Order: sequence, then structure tokens, then C-alpha cells
Amino acid sequence: MNIQLNGMKETIPDGLTIKGLMEWDKEADPDLIVEQNGKYIYAKDYDTQMVMENDVIEFINPNLGG
Amino acid sequence: MPDDSRYSRQILLPDIGPRGQEMLGKSCVLIAGAGGLGSASALYLAAAGVGRIIVVDDDCVELSNLNRQIIHSEASLGQPKALSAANRLAGLNSKIQVRPIPERITHENIDSLLTEGVDIMVDASDNYETRQVLNRASLRHGMAWVYGGVHGFDGMASVFLPGRTPCFECIFPHPPAAPPGKEVVGPAAGITASVQAMETIKLLLGIGESLANRLLRVSGLDMRVHILDLSPNPDCRVCRSASTKP
Repeated sequence: MNIQLNGMKETIPDGLTIKGLMEWDKEADPDLIVEQNGKYIYAKDYDTQMVMENDVIEFINPNLGG
Repeated sequence: MPDDSRYSRQILLPDIGPRGQEMLGKSCVLIAGAGGLGSASALYLAAAGVGRIIVVDDDCVELSNLNRQIIHSEASLGQPKALSAANRLAGLNSKIQVRPIPERITHENIDSLLTEGVDIMVDASDNYETRQVLNRASLRHGMAWVYGGVHGFDGMASVFLPGRTPCFECIFPHPPAAPPGKEVVGPAAGITASVQAMETIKLLLGIGESLANRLLRVSGLDMRVHILDLSPNPDCRVCRSASTKP
């Protein structure tokens, strides 16, 4: 399945949840927020929110400096 | 130069006009920090004629600040940032009132800071904890606040309206595992703070479409500007609970 992840085209296994995608991407930063197709995904939904073909997903580091 | 020429270019805008200018003049904004974000937002809001500006910051000006904290100067090195900022703002616009408060914003003092008729808080802090203070005060007082954050070449901004949008802690539910990095290029703060100033003016005047329920992200290195839609978090322990105590 093809998606765009952090601005890059990626081919990933079918049937991944957001949590699964984070594991596939070896992304372990606990502070990340997740955007899927322009929408904020809450952490409580990572286990159930499915990644679909052609999704645009971003793992975002919060900007907290001033 | 007569006063009416100072704001003439923005009074020409139908969304502002003389009445909007009068509204700005009667408004009060608290700027939480006089660093990179607060420098630019305070300058723009003072220049726009926001009648009262309260600048709160407990730090002093250091040389390492001057790549981005454009409200300060070499002459203000060592001075409290709140005072340095107030002096600069007074020089820019002597017709407004600026109150410097050289203190750290805490759960203990925020309520008293907001008793002076503050309409909106502008986040110009550099840490999660102060934003948490602003968020909870916003919920207690039903007051809008304009979040901004920067890191590196990037910035984020949003508008939080109690009861009408997710709160800050819906979106950023816990402090970062590590303190925010200090690396930042000046224009990242300038871009982000300019967005905050624009949002503040819009909110004060009730015009346009704010960043409520949206998170703006600017990636300076490839100049991607992106908006992320936010939705309320029904499980938020802060804004969904009856208590908004610290």
C-alpha cells in the first residue's frame, strides 16, 4: 500500500493502524502528534485508526519554543 | 504628525475602518513573554494601536537573544525583558499604555494578571508549563488565547476559544519528555508571531476566520505552510472536566 509519510512516498504493509505505522517507521518519540489527511489524530485512537491507501500522514514534533 | 495618520493605512480597510480602530484602542492584550515571539507580536500590536498591552517576562536580555528578539537591543543587555520591551513599545507608539511585569507567569499569579480587563492572551512563552497556565486560566476566565511555538526553522500557531475549540491540553496533553530545543532562526519566530498578531487583531475586531479549530504549521526550510484540522477531545482531562483549577 502506498502512502505519503512526512512528505515522502512510502510503500507500507496493508492493514496497519497508526500505532502500527509508527512501529513500522521505528518512530518512538512520545511527544509526536499525528496528522492523517489534514486531521489531528488523538493518541487514544492510534490503536484503532487504520491507515488507508494514498493517505497523507505526518508525524509532527510540537513546537514549544518561543 | 496628527494621530489620524498613524493608523490611516489600516483604517482604509473596510474590515477595520474608524470603528475597528476605536475598538483596538479600547482593547487590552496580555503578552506572555518578551522573547522571540513576544518581540514581534508586541511590536505589531502596539503599532496597530491596541490600547493597553501588558508584557510579562521574568528574564533579562542576553546577547544570545538578539538573533530573534527584535524588540530588544544591545543597549538593553542585562535589563529585564519586560522593561526593555515596554520602553521599545512606548517609543513606537506613545499613544498606548504599556505595562511591564517582570515576573514569571504561574498558576498563582495569572488570575491577578487577568483582572485588568485583558481581552486576549498572546502566548509568547518558551515552555509547556507556562502554556498550561495560560490554557487553564483561559478555561476559567472564558478568555481566548493565541498559541504560538517555534523550533528551528519551523513554527506553529492556533487559537483556543474556551467551549468552542479543543483546548491546548487536548492537543498537547503532556509536557515534552525533554525541554524544547533552543535552536531557532529569527524569522521562524517572526513569522509565527506575525500570525499571532494577525489572529489577535481579528479576534479583537471579530473579523475574518480565525485559526480556531485549526493548527497552522510553517516549515521554513522548504516553506511549506500547512493547516491541520482540530476536533475536540472528549477525553480531555482538563477542558472536559468540571474543574479547571491548576
